[in-house]
Amino acid sequence: MLGVFIGSAAVISLIAVGQGAQASITSRVASLGTNLLSVTPGGQIAGTLSPGDASAIGSLPGVSAVAPELSISGAPVVLRTTETSAPIVGTTSSAASVRDLQMVEGSFLSQQEVTRGLQVAVLGSLAASDLGKTPGQLLGRTVDVDGVPFRVIGVLASKGGSTTSADNVVYAPITTVEAHFANPDGVFLSAIGISVAPKADMTTVAAEVQQALRSRHELPAGSPNDFTLFDQAQLLSVAVGNSLVLRNFLIGIAAIALLVGGIGIANIMLVTVRERTREIGIRKAIGARRSDIGLQFLAEAVLVSLGGGALGAAAGSLAAPAVGHLVHVTATASPGAVVVAFVASVVVGVLAGWLPARQAAILEPLTALRAE
Amino acid sequence: MAEGRGGVAPFSSPVIDATGLQRIYTVGSSTVAALRGVDLVVRKGESAAIMGPSGSGKSTLLGLLGLLDRPTAGRYVIQGTDTSTLDDDELAALRNRAIGFIFQAFNLLPAESAEDNVAAPLLYAGVRRPERQRRAMAALETVGSADWRSRRPTELSGGQQQRVAIARALVGDPGLILADEPTGNLDSVSGGEVLDVLDRLRDEGRTIVLITHDPTVASHAGRTLRMSDGGFLGEELCSTEPDGAGA
Repeated sequence: MLGVFIGSAAVISLIAVGQGAQASITSRVASLGTNLLSVTPGGQIAGTLSPGDASAIGSLPGVSAVAPELSISGAPVVLRTTETSAPIVGTTSSAASVRDLQMVEGSFLSQQEVTRGLQVAVLGSLAASDLGKTPGQLLGRTVDVDGVPFRVIGVLASKGGSTTSADNVVYAPITTVEAHFANPDGVFLSAIGISVAPKADMTTVAAEVQQALRSRHELPAGSPNDFTLFDQAQLLSVAVGNSLVLRNFLIGIAAIALLVGGIGIANIMLVTVRERTREIGIRKAIGARRSDIGLQFLAEAVLVSLGGGALGAAAGSLAAPAVGHLVHVTATASPGAVVVAFVASVVVGVLAGWLPARQAAILEPLTALRAE
Repeated sequence: MAEGRGGVAPFSSPVIDATGLQRIYTVGSSTVAALRGVDLVVRKGESAAIMGPSGSGKSTLLGLLGLLDRPTAGRYVIQGTDTSTLDDDELAALRNRAIGFIFQAFNLLPAESAEDNVAAPLLYAGVRRPERQRRAMAALETVGSADWRSRRPTELSGGQQQRVAIARALVGDPGLILADEPTGNLDSVSGGEVLDVLDRLRDEGRTIVLITHDPTVASHAGRTLRMSDGGFLGEELCSTEPDGAGA
């Protein structure tokens, strides 16, 4: 009973946690931004995107907002004696809506701050916590970024659990970053985030953006793009690819869980039956035939396995959310997992309870009686 | 038909008729002859004690007589049935019908009540439940254990367990009672009570074969056979046996 119980409960919790992880990853990909188009420099040349490109895209119909991004990677960020390292991203006020940035404290860059090129900064949640301060303590303080002082005007909420790279960032006005850190050869954007208007068609806008950039870059027809355009459809296909890998991974885990659970069940049932060899001897001595013994143990194994399997399924369903909570995943036992675990546990339980009893029933009664 | 009471009754039919019973155990590459060609006839109504030290082969013999084991060689006819050609299920049916066992370690089913233990042989005989209960109660009353009907073996003393076991041996009204050191696990008081029950069964004309190493226990039987090294040494008739003949 215990074996079947533990086996089915373990299998159900494991599958539930795995499915929770899968759902969490898929939803995180979806939350990267609905209606988001993203342009990054492509091909052999790094500096192909200019602020002018961003403005041009911004004037296209169907585009509701554009956020040019000018990144300086791995800048030292210093608050008095505490130092951390984070990329500094120069952008405009529209990044808040385009990248779906949520504030914990303060406000995001304003249009005025960007226009005037003020030395103000918005810290990502990880950058803030790496400076050893809670958000409230940082507001209005001055941090040195690569030797340039910035006043902290806001702290961002975390973008989510395990993807820390999005949180280790310092946003500043693009004008300020350009003035202090830009490459002397010119201003090259690292990305352009594009918000597509709710009613506009994603594919149409993506084609227009591509056409606009190609003509601005004077690319001859037939030559490859010197930039990369990500649209929602591509992001989704990545997400789907991820979830297929995950699903296979999950099936593997479930198979191992079933195997381990099955071995546990078989082991406990075998021990139980072996302990009862003497009982089998007694029953044979008083006239039980092999089939009587076999039927009795089969009936018992069925009852015990059904009971243990049902209790285990219930316990596993209840335990799954708790286990999921421990690993920060929303785990819910799916009906399919419950059925598979229950059926597998019961089948293993019945076989492990019945087959050895049948073996014991073949012994001469005297041998079985002397067992212990 | 004339029936002896414990003593030799030459004219009654044999319950046990064994010829040249051998039992050789193979342990790895070596063989051990636990029993080397034993002849034994026990007639209806006789009570016989088989005595001998440990390793003399008496338990092996009882296992063969009880159809709990198969002889390596020899012929065993019980109540007119030759057992050498029977398969497992036929042997089980014969044990159920013809033999009642009393073991040294009682061997009750630990999870079942005294009444269900006693009724168990009837279950395998295909008797219906109300009839099983009625006959189990009757058997428990015979050994003075009706009050314990609903108790589990663990809730009974050794003497009480052995009386329940005797009731189980009697419930199917078998022609032969086999007892293996029936008082071996009991104190003298409980052992005395069990011997009283066995005496009564003997006096009722039941055929009893018991094995023991205790001469006091053996003296309750009409015949005493001594074993050593897998064979019989000799036989004596018990003079303390209350004599008289059944009609």
